[in-house]
Amino acid sequence: MTAVNGRKVAIVGMAGAFPDCENLSVFNEKIFSGKSLIREWPLAVERNTQIRSMVSGYIDDNDMGLEPIYLIDGYEWPETFVDTLNRIPAINLATADLGSVWAMIGALESIEMAGWTTAETQSEKTGVVVASGGGGHVILRHAWHAFYERGKKSRAAGSHTVDRAMSYREAANISCLIRNKGVCESIISACATGLGNIGYAYRLIKYGMQDRAIAGGVEGTALETFIGFDAMQVLSKGFAPAESSRPFDMKRNGFVCSFGAGIVALEEYEMAKARGANILAVIDDYFNNSDGDGDMFYPSYNGQIRLWKGLSENTHIKPDVVKVHGTATPVGDILELISVVDTLGEEGYHISAPKSQFGHMLGAAGAVELVTSILMLQNQQVPPCINSDTLNPELEKFQLKEGWEGSMKPAAAYRHLIPQETVNKEINQIVCLNYGFGGTNSAMAISRDNS
Amino acid sequence: MERQEIIDGLIEVLRTVRTVDPAKLEHVTEDTDFLTDMNTPSTELINIAAKVEQKFDIEFEDEDIDEMGSKVRDVVDLIIKVKARGEAEKGESA
Repeated sequence: MTAVNGRKVAIVGMAGAFPDCENLSVFNEKIFSGKSLIREWPLAVERNTQIRSMVSGYIDDNDMGLEPIYLIDGYEWPETFVDTLNRIPAINLATADLGSVWAMIGALESIEMAGWTTAETQSEKTGVVVASGGGGHVILRHAWHAFYERGKKSRAAGSHTVDRAMSYREAANISCLIRNKGVCESIISACATGLGNIGYAYRLIKYGMQDRAIAGGVEGTALETFIGFDAMQVLSKGFAPAESSRPFDMKRNGFVCSFGAGIVALEEYEMAKARGANILAVIDDYFNNSDGDGDMFYPSYNGQIRLWKGLSENTHIKPDVVKVHGTATPVGDILELISVVDTLGEEGYHISAPKSQFGHMLGAAGAVELVTSILMLQNQQVPPCINSDTLNPELEKFQLKEGWEGSMKPAAAYRHLIPQETVNKEINQIVCLNYGFGGTNSAMAISRDNS
Repeated sequence: MERQEIIDGLIEVLRTVRTVDPAKLEHVTEDTDFLTDMNTPSTELINIAAKVEQKFDIEFEDEDIDEMGSKVRDVVDLIIKVKARGEAEKGESA
């Protein structure tokens, strides 16, 4: 399969569910004024003897205009949600877990921003490619509890365990809501999921198989997801909430587990242009690969260098901002910093690590960070990497290992690349990077529409 | 338990099912049909059955549900039958 000559892909709509924000414009305002969206998470605090990390970028149902409905005998699990703003019909809410509700709202808002007609949305050439990183834990917990612990018949779990918990539930729910007739799929790749789905949707359009797509990543609130990472002892611990996510900082001790959704509307460039659409950004290219190191968790310098090489193969890459994965885990940040510096050199761009402000949204991370990057293009601003107070003046341990091929400078040598305040500058191109467990790497370059 | 009492309890259950239009619950009689009169999605019937079990503290057999008709009368009959069966079993074990 090769790209169809002359076919380009535009981003014409965007939306999402963002922690401690009612909508995209509040998110925009908070991000570029350097605010943290991370708070103490009541669900974790309630179990503080069992859980290490107490903070999260979590989303209030109220902010999303949702009201949870509980079963008649007072279970702790919401049976379904009511959309207090009447965006999603009850029949669609019935088949959706919380993340799928966010995904549906995001799809509607993206389509509205894109300005697609009903005929365009419902076309055979419109696809849906959306996924989340985690399984439908909350839904399944309810189902298994009724069956195993209470010894109830299978129907006590309700008839929506499958549709609310299946791996491609977000895509399925969006498709049933908007009634597109093109593809409906999910690409699932841990924390690369968000960017991976948008990258795959980009290829569907670039290769001529679709003209439009709703694409993105979701991570619905689930204590189960949080517990899994907490058990690995990879979550941030011991800081005030707003100071908990500290990419690149010497004192960083793990990431902040957050939840959310990022949805974009993609459209073939000439079609978007012809109907006078507002083009938010153009996707220059997408590339993804695997480390090939045989390591489930440890990031790969060589894998990331090959990622950049692949991204640069068919398109001119000279970013003004590199939006890194930057989770604030001890090894990942500096290894990534060095792979960027060794690729692009030591000057001429800024590094943005938006997880410093909202934490790691896992399967939604790549999508919400792409939305953040589009806002950077619109605002011509780079948000600050908050809490990156002190960069290590010494070499990292991995730089001292035999066989290390990268830079022999410490993180502190690159302070000028990592802003602590919002930077105003001309931004034409941004490269977005996300990686996931299993050694999967993804990269997308986006640009301002310059025609 | 009187039939009207059961219908009232059933309506209470139906009010918690979001996909059932509340306006359709205003004039429910024994002849009201879940599928044709109330437009209940067929996937919701099993949820309604599970909720009815909770509400009336009974447990249907799988065959009860397989054979149940779609009218309010059918559900009321079944609830009475299952309640009686439960009481008979209690009597035997006492």
